[in-house]
Amino acid sequence: MKNLKFPLFALLALSIFATSCKKKHNHDENGTVKMSFTHTWGMNNAPFALNTQLIHPMNGDTMNFSTFKYYVSNIQLKKNDGSWWTMPESYFLVDVSSAASLTLEIPEVPEGTYIAFKYTMGVDSTRNVSGAQAGALSTTNGMFWSWNTGYIMVKAEGTSPQSSTGNFAFHLGGFSGANSIVTTTEVPFTDNLVVSHETTKTIKMRSNPARLFHGGESVSNGGTVMMPGTRAKTLATNFYGGVTFLGIE
Amino acid sequence: MKRIIYFLSISVLLFSCKKKETEYLITYPDYFPQPHYNFTNNDFSKARFELGRKIFHDTRLSSDNSISCATCHAQVHAFADHGVSLSSGVNGTLGTRNSPAIFNMIWSKHFNWDGGVNHLEIFPFAPITNPLEMNEDISNVLQKLNSDSEYKKMFQNAYGNSEITDQLLYRALAVFMGALISADSKYDKMRKGKATFTSSEERGYNLFKQNCNSCHNEPLFHNNDFANNGLDEQFEDFGRYLITLNESDKGKFKVPTLRNIELTYPYMHDGRFQTLSQVINHYSEGIKQSSTLHPLLSQPFQFSVQEKQDLTAFLRTLTDYTLTSKFEFSE
Repeated sequence: MKNLKFPLFALLALSIFATSCKKKHNHDENGTVKMSFTHTWGMNNAPFALNTQLIHPMNGDTMNFSTFKYYVSNIQLKKNDGSWWTMPESYFLVDVSSAASLTLEIPEVPEGTYIAFKYTMGVDSTRNVSGAQAGALSTTNGMFWSWNTGYIMVKAEGTSPQSSTGNFAFHLGGFSGANSIVTTTEVPFTDNLVVSHETTKTIKMRSNPARLFHGGESVSNGGTVMMPGTRAKTLATNFYGGVTFLGIE
Repeated sequence: MKRIIYFLSISVLLFSCKKKETEYLITYPDYFPQPHYNFTNNDFSKARFELGRKIFHDTRLSSDNSISCATCHAQVHAFADHGVSLSSGVNGTLGTRNSPAIFNMIWSKHFNWDGGVNHLEIFPFAPITNPLEMNEDISNVLQKLNSDSEYKKMFQNAYGNSEITDQLLYRALAVFMGALISADSKYDKMRKGKATFTSSEERGYNLFKQNCNSCHNEPLFHNNDFANNGLDEQFEDFGRYLITLNESDKGKFKVPTLRNIELTYPYMHDGRFQTLSQVINHYSEGIKQSSTLHPLLSQPFQFSVQEKQDLTAFLRTLTDYTLTSKFEFSE
């Protein structure tokens, strides 16, 4: 029995070590990256703000936005060896009314040199068909259709005299088939992104809500979209096309 | 001694990360297909089931604290409403479609008459927030439940988290609804060799197999699909079309199960038929033509009086009093 003491202790210690559920991270090998969004209006990049009268430079519509929010998800970074690092549980709701939501935090990125990134506008099909979700994907965010399952991926609401009701509400979504508006974009970095635990770099992005009505669209075509379909696809594709990478800071 | 130590350390190794409670209540006959909902990320446990049951019966889910899920989904009616065509929401507002029965949900791919909801877990979000039903904001529901220490304890027990989120609320309800399995009717007893049909039931069963079984497939008595069953020439409610916007879906609704049909009157998406005999008369000689009518209904069945009686006798064998009386399912 006496000579059993040591192996017993070792075995117990080993099993506790092996079974502890929490992953131990070596923080020295990881850094944090941020991605920030600024919002502008029209091709001259005038400032965009809620509760402000704005004139659309192409169709002349007068618009006053009360809400503008959209999902950005599945952020990936490409290392200089060609491999991709994928952020786990990477879902963000960018809400112009909440300053904190405009900067996305990408934690625990392995240190190294990165040459490109990928991001998805919208919420992937899987999360639209997998039941109750949490965090940015919670139904408490008002970005989920109760009667026709799926995420509202872009929500723009406000008033406009060009709408027959005086109001507009564009709830854009669609995750399957021809009506899917889930869009993944790969962008090369102009200067490499160097991730280290000592500094936090920010990937600067710009969104332009005026782009919803690019190429002939107007509130006067109807101020309401409440489900997936061809018009939702047109508006979302227009908007996503205007999301621009500005540089690393 | 050594052996005991090895055994102990191995069991610590095996059980420390995931405790899986023995499944109970989720049992069904071997002639049932594989369920569509498998409790993925939401393992079945007694604590979760009991929590879901409490939420199902809690009127705080509605804006004026007057209506629970059970108000319109009553156990005595196989979890459909109490014999009304349309159900009353808060302030007495009437809904637009008949309350469906809630059982055998783990075999359903779509929820609601138009199939607009694609997952059992997020199904409750629709009635809670619908202004004609519970008319409540989901954040308000969470606020009400989070101020109840009993709930916080139950969530802690069931999910290891005393902070009540919408995700956990929906998952607990899915566990309760998922356990509402109806598989103990006379039909089931016949399938298991524990009961024999009367000659009228037997004739009705044969008629059913010839005429009804292609949509109301055994053993669940539905096909997880949508059909226009000839109720109208002009549609007041476009049904499935409102979800898909496909012209070919106009006037189509989810094919409901025929299990417990005796208890879930009135019938059809708008509750227009009060009795089973009205329903059988509709299929026998009342079909209305339209472009999306199900092809198998284009010719009326023209059942005789005896055949109608036999069909009714068979449909009554689908009533499951175990479901309607099971103590574990009640408040």
